Amino acid sequence: MIEIRGIRKSFAGVEILRGIDLSIGAGEIVALIGRSGCGKTTLLRCINFLEDYDAGEIKLDGEVLWYRADSTGGRRRCPEKDLARQRQRMGIVFQQFNLFPHMTALENVCLGPRFGQKLAADAAELRARELLSRVGLADRLNSYPAHLSGGQQQRVAIARALAMKPQVLLLDEITSALDPELVAEVEDVIRALTQEGIAMVLVTHAMSFAREIAHRIAYLADGQIAEIGPPQEVLDRPRDKGLREFLRRIR
Amino acid sequence: MEMTASDLWVLAQAAVISLLMALAAIAFGTLLAVALTPLAFAPWALGRAIYRLYIFVVRGTPVLLLALLVFYALASFWGRISPYAAGIVVLTLYLAALIAEVFRGGVLAIPRPLWDCAKSLGLPRLSILRRVVSPLVARYALPPYLNVCVMAVKASSVLSIISVWELTLASREIIERTLDVYRVLAVAALLYFIMCFAIDRLGRNLESRLAARGFAGERL
Repeated sequence: MIEIRGIRKSFAGVEILRGIDLSIGAGEIVALIGRSGCGKTTLLRCINFLEDYDAGEIKLDGEVLWYRADSTGGRRRCPEKDLARQRQRMGIVFQQFNLFPHMTALENVCLGPRFGQKLAADAAELRARELLSRVGLADRLNSYPAHLSGGQQQRVAIARALAMKPQVLLLDEITSALDPELVAEVEDVIRALTQEGIAMVLVTHAMSFAREIAHRIAYLADGQIAEIGPPQEVLDRPRDKGLREFLRRIR
Repeated sequence: MEMTASDLWVLAQAAVISLLMALAAIAFGTLLAVALTPLAFAPWALGRAIYRLYIFVVRGTPVLLLALLVFYALASFWGRISPYAAGIVVLTLYLAALIAEVFRGGVLAIPRPLWDCAKSLGLPRLSILRRVVSPLVARYALPPYLNVCVMAVKASSVLSIISVWELTLASREIIERTLDVYRVLAVAALLYFIMCFAIDRLGRNLESRLAARGFAGERL
């Protein structure tokens, strides 16, 4: 469903991604692991075009995203309108929740459907209520982010990402900023989502969680995918030397 | 000769003129600033250059000089011109520069991740501006904005130089007639203080109302 081909990205002359190829099937869950600075978050942000990339191509269901070839053989950013439409097919959840502080939980979740997808107000609200109750926050609809715990905020953020009915969910270390006792409530929500067949790409340091829900785990090193495969292979029988070292260190 | 009760009444009327001039300029200045601030973030260099030039010129000129300049410039263009109209134009131009910078600061204060979020939801630009950026800027910019509003009341005193009959000019007239310097000035100062204080109270009220609506957490 998602085809990533040869993505390259430099920041200030330093190449962070050096040709990433990755295909993600419908409903597939892929975990990205690797040392900090290896480019996993950058890759996730490139998939959603929060970062532009220097070379390569990302396709979703056969449609090339973010750039168009122009007549000179180069490429050109798609117009804003297309970018917005393409982004609506993916949801992203960030490490730091990033809820809009001036909106209630309900308003945060309504925003995308209402103004991105131009749904009627009551339809957007209905969808938002449904999603918030699915993440266990039916009783906090009108709370502002500042009055919610980290775990609750992250669950609102997940509901907000789901509100666009995306085909893919991108999760960027979504439990890293949480107190240990709040991690489980967010993981439970994600676990429940795995039953619904939505594709996910998650950047994570929580290896046991990755092992549990991911179909495949990709280990990134030096801006490339150094090893990829089912969790049992990648985590239990790593072939890459760097990966063995990495796994030994985080255990 | 001492100032009389009727002089007091005259000063009160003059204070109202000062306040009206300031309020009109704040209103127009805010509108102009709303148009100016986006220029500061324009994708084309020309827009940003126009913005910088405007701020540089207007902020870098003393208001007194600006008042004389605009008054004579307008007068040479249209012949006789009402000093009140010229006064509002002067204050508007001046306040717009200050307020545009206040708004620009508010935009810069929006954390980058919130921009990312708004983009990732696929919101069109206008919706991002309207639903996310403007309400946040209003909250971040409110304290420095009020600061500018209070300054506006005091800056209106400069307009006496182009014969706008406001509190400062009225005070001088009464002083020249009565020579009761200190009492007149004390009353004028008190009136300025009351006006500034009222704006300050109004603003704090607004601030705490916004805070109650979930901005930046608990009430302080």
